[in-house]
Amino acid sequence: MDRSGRPTGDSARGRRFEVLTGLVPLVVLVIVWEIIGSPDSPFYPAPSSWWPALFTRGQGEDIIPAIIDTTRTFSLGLVIAMIVGVAIGIAVGVSARTDRAFGPMFEFARALPPAAMVPVATLLLGFDEPMKIVVVVLAAVWPIMLNTRTGIRSIDPVRLDMARSLRLSRRRTIGSVLLPAVMPAVLLGVRVATPVALVITLLVEYLTGVNGVGALVGDAQRTFQPARVYALIVIAGLISLVVNSLVRSVEQRVRRLHGGN
Amino acid sequence: MLVAAAVLWELLVRAEVAELQFLPAPSEILVAARAAVTEGELLGRVIHTVGVTLLGWSVASAVGFGLGLILGLSNTAYRFSMTSFEVTRAIPPITFVPAALLIFGFSLRMELVLVIFGGVWPVLVNTIGGVHAIPSELRDVGAMFRLGRLATVRKIVLPAALPSVVVGLRLALSLCLVLAIVAEIVGNPAGIGDGLIRARQALQPALMFVYVIVAGLLGVVLNAIFRTVVRALVPGGDTSDVRSW
Repeated sequence: MDRSGRPTGDSARGRRFEVLTGLVPLVVLVIVWEIIGSPDSPFYPAPSSWWPALFTRGQGEDIIPAIIDTTRTFSLGLVIAMIVGVAIGIAVGVSARTDRAFGPMFEFARALPPAAMVPVATLLLGFDEPMKIVVVVLAAVWPIMLNTRTGIRSIDPVRLDMARSLRLSRRRTIGSVLLPAVMPAVLLGVRVATPVALVITLLVEYLTGVNGVGALVGDAQRTFQPARVYALIVIAGLISLVVNSLVRSVEQRVRRLHGGN
Repeated sequence: MLVAAAVLWELLVRAEVAELQFLPAPSEILVAARAAVTEGELLGRVIHTVGVTLLGWSVASAVGFGLGLILGLSNTAYRFSMTSFEVTRAIPPITFVPAALLIFGFSLRMELVLVIFGGVWPVLVNTIGGVHAIPSELRDVGAMFRLGRLATVRKIVLPAALPSVVVGLRLALSLCLVLAIVAEIVGNPAGIGDGLIRARQALQPALMFVYVIVAGLLGVVLNAIFRTVVRALVPGGDTSDVRSW
């Protein structure tokens, strides 16, 4: 405990203890819910009925493929968004002229809420996998691109001068100087973009019914299977926890490799 | 450049180079926009969406700020609940839509609940962060002046945490708008989201683009108003360019 009143958790054991005690309200909630909720309640079915609800009426086989589908759409979208975002971010970060030319257009595109783009994309592109990925990329590309741009601009000019002194080619300047220097900023953008990409993936699936966990939730809701809905919410939450902590640990590792900030 | 892009888009559609069957030309979007404005449909929908957004945001801000203050100030409260909040926050708000639909039906209540639920988190997290980031020297000053608990909170904690809280409020505002539109798309038949989905079902892509653009403009305008108000009211509260989705 430091003087600012924040629990510091000196030892790893203390921190683990803190994580556990922090779960108390959630556990209490689930227990109370279990006691007062009945398994057949149309609104609040008891938690013990959630897990079996995943497998009723032969619906058990859909779960794993759905999780795989969602993960694939999400990760493909995020990777493409990363490539595109970094490319655009470098282009507008390096040249003020490109930035002036395309800036307003990006501002405009960024302002369009990705959720509202989903119906548009289904009309323009149809109900299929590429449509899902396009929407996810559209949503996830901005944080990555903006962070890359900021990262490029904050590179120490001496490094660029050095590249010039060494007469590095344009390609080698980007590959050996710009990219490594901008990596932490890119990963920060990816960390911000990760939950966005996941939310949009689930939303597209829910709205269009094209595969994935989102589609299953929508299906369970429309066929009035509340216990199944709650079970799938828990699954979505778990996916989100795993994905977010994965991205965070990758970011921290790269940060350590590149020596600090 | 924006104009050039619009002209290029227009030409591509006119020349039927663009293969997308339902892509409207900018001129068609303008025509649809004028029709929607003169018929008064657009205004009513905008009022609904903005009203729900602001109402939900106010409630979410009050709840998030209150909870955040408690969790920020009390170690016991923090230790015995933070993981629960982290876990709940990790669940994408979108997945709560089906549950909210089952419980509240296709209603305004469903929309409000979703907006409030989503909007609480940024305020909560940033309030806790703001309170925790207060330098211990500042607290020492409070102790030196023998301020009571309440006076410490009012005179030291609140002013010091304010910039961070403002960031949370701003993030929550854009999030609330998005969630309101999502709720309208999937459930509550009113507002911009509903207009969007109706235009889609009626195969009126031009009108659909009008709603998408209006949704974007609303986000920009709300954000600008918020910044102006903050700049006028809170010294040093004009925060950097933090942006969520």
